Amino acid sequence: MTGFLAWLLVASGLAVVVVRRRSLVVGIVTAQALVLAVAALVEAETTDDAVAGGALALRAVLLAVLFAGVVARTRERVPVHARVPPLLRGGLAVVLALALVWLVPEIGLDSPDAERAVLTLIAFGVATAGLRRATVLQVLGIVLVENGLALAALELPGEESAAGIEIGVAIDLVLISAVAIVFHQRIFGLFGTGDTAALRTLRD
Amino acid sequence: MTSREWLAVAVPLVPAASAVLVGIAPRRAIANLGLVAACLSGIVATALAVAAIVDADDPVSGDWLVVDATAGLFVGVIGVVGLASALTSRSYLGTARTELVRPERGARLYYGTFLAFWAVLVAVPLAGNLGIAWLLIEATTAASALLVGFSGRATAIEAGWKYLVLTTLGLGFALLGIVLVAPEVEGGLGGLSWNSLASIQTGSDQLSAAFVLLLGGLAAKIGWAPVHNWLPDAHSEAPPPVSALLSSALLPAVLVVAWRSDRALAPAVGEDLAQGLLVAFGLVSLAFAVPFLWRSLAWKRLLAYSSLEHMGVLALGFAFANPLALAGVAVHVCGHAIAKALGFYAATPLLTHVPSAGGRAATGVARTAPGLGASMGISLGTLAGLPPSPLFVSEVLIVAGGFAAGRPWEAATAAILLALGFLGLGHALLETVAGKARRREPGPPHGLRPVLALTVVGTAALLALTIVAPWLPGSDLVEAMLEVA
Repeated sequence: MTGFLAWLLVASGLAVVVVRRRSLVVGIVTAQALVLAVAALVEAETTDDAVAGGALALRAVLLAVLFAGVVARTRERVPVHARVPPLLRGGLAVVLALALVWLVPEIGLDSPDAERAVLTLIAFGVATAGLRRATVLQVLGIVLVENGLALAALELPGEESAAGIEIGVAIDLVLISAVAIVFHQRIFGLFGTGDTAALRTLRD
Repeated sequence: MTSREWLAVAVPLVPAASAVLVGIAPRRAIANLGLVAACLSGIVATALAVAAIVDADDPVSGDWLVVDATAGLFVGVIGVVGLASALTSRSYLGTARTELVRPERGARLYYGTFLAFWAVLVAVPLAGNLGIAWLLIEATTAASALLVGFSGRATAIEAGWKYLVLTTLGLGFALLGIVLVAPEVEGGLGGLSWNSLASIQTGSDQLSAAFVLLLGGLAAKIGWAPVHNWLPDAHSEAPPPVSALLSSALLPAVLVVAWRSDRALAPAVGEDLAQGLLVAFGLVSLAFAVPFLWRSLAWKRLLAYSSLEHMGVLALGFAFANPLALAGVAVHVCGHAIAKALGFYAATPLLTHVPSAGGRAATGVARTAPGLGASMGISLGTLAGLPPSPLFVSEVLIVAGGFAAGRPWEAATAAILLALGFLGLGHALLETVAGKARRREPGPPHGLRPVLALTVVGTAALLALTIVAPWLPGSDLVEAMLEVA
């Protein structure tokens, strides 16, 4: 993996944390997954490697269709307010990423750039799920985490193939996203908005 | 393939095929089809459990499939609880309606998702491979989240959403742990079998970090504190038969995967970290649960916090991993499953009898509905560990196992926390069953008959467990469980 590609993934991950529009975030996480898929296909040395890249590309397209559809069907009258303003959100996400990179020892991927990019994408995904209130954005935070994990699987050292992991994760992620969309539509139907702030009644 | 391997393939295949059939069957046949499918699935699962436990000294242990005594025990529990949940589902559906889909599609969604969930869940303890186990656990989230939000009420949707997002994020960290472990073994996904993982001998900071991520991620799904936030909400908002399956079957099944991972990686990461992490999760879970067991909570929410306590107890039993502790684990898994399932099943008639019990603690149920009060009393008394509850015996065995394992401080702390939990649940037992009834003329409890029948069978099973428990430490079952340890 080139340093440029790692930085591209990290920069687009940060955009997911700060960007306001859901449709734009759908586009960014899809583009990320497609870039990863293309990188996997270009570097593929075996059929299994190519299958891993293909699974990643297929998952990216399927999720893009699902999320684009739901964003179009459930238009917000007023954009859902984030819990935290964009600049602070971005700052917190960067701090979380730095902390994760500092805390987790060398994880043994092919390149140090890839290692840092993986941990940063995971941190940005967790920050998105934790700091954004819009239901669709919370799920896209999970997709961002999975993009980071896909990168880790593709950058494993040695000749081992990531095909099994990529296919399994792709199936599970599509299933989880489909269920999340069912929930989002119900939340939208109940409250007229996909804002998780409406879901704060269960407390002890 | 051996007969056990064929059975192991049939165990998830029967409910999976039934889920497909439910999806295409005529509407009026769905409830009966669901019941027949559950009976078949329960029978196949029980047959495999018996075969695995009888042939405990000759386990099947391949790269993809494992059929040993531990798998048999958990498949048996899932089969029995699944069947009982299906039996009580009809009365639940008779009292509830869904707003998640059109009402006429409710039964199809319920039974289809229920059987799909069962199919994936029962495969979890049989997974011979960490990667496959992770994929199955993640798949249980999709199916069970839909069931948690089945009613479509705002609170159920909130609970289902939390469950979906928090457990998926947690499992993301577990997957990172798996990805980091993968380079240590040969053979890609197939190389992540328990046997291959156990062959890793050289530890490193990288492997230790992977191990912590893996167990920490699985903890979010098991419901161990402090990553348990989804648990009380999901268990209290799901339909009662589903709550029973979540608490009695799903949490312990994921715990088995955590334990197998822990034991397989212990030689490489060191016993201190492997055992210490389980002990820490166990004690923290107990400590988090106790204050809630002392509070006056709605029935299902109280049972949910009791799940947190009991998953903590099981974590300690698995951590101590000697004959005493593992005998305790075997009894605890079965006793907890029966008692907790009974408690959740009683929620269906309870909510028709005292509708306010959904939001606050019910009191004096035995005064207005003696049968229902008896079911709830037996469930809560057993969960509290009130003798002759098998959970009393299992908790004594696990604490004794802690002392035998050379962890006296941890065992003593656990004993104190268990005693505090007992006092809290004991108070709830007195108030709920024998306290002063709030309403003078509560409604009749709907769907009580199957709950009473299950209470009779369950009570007999619980007493049998108590009688058998003292003989378990030297048994073939426990010896076979020790093979994993």
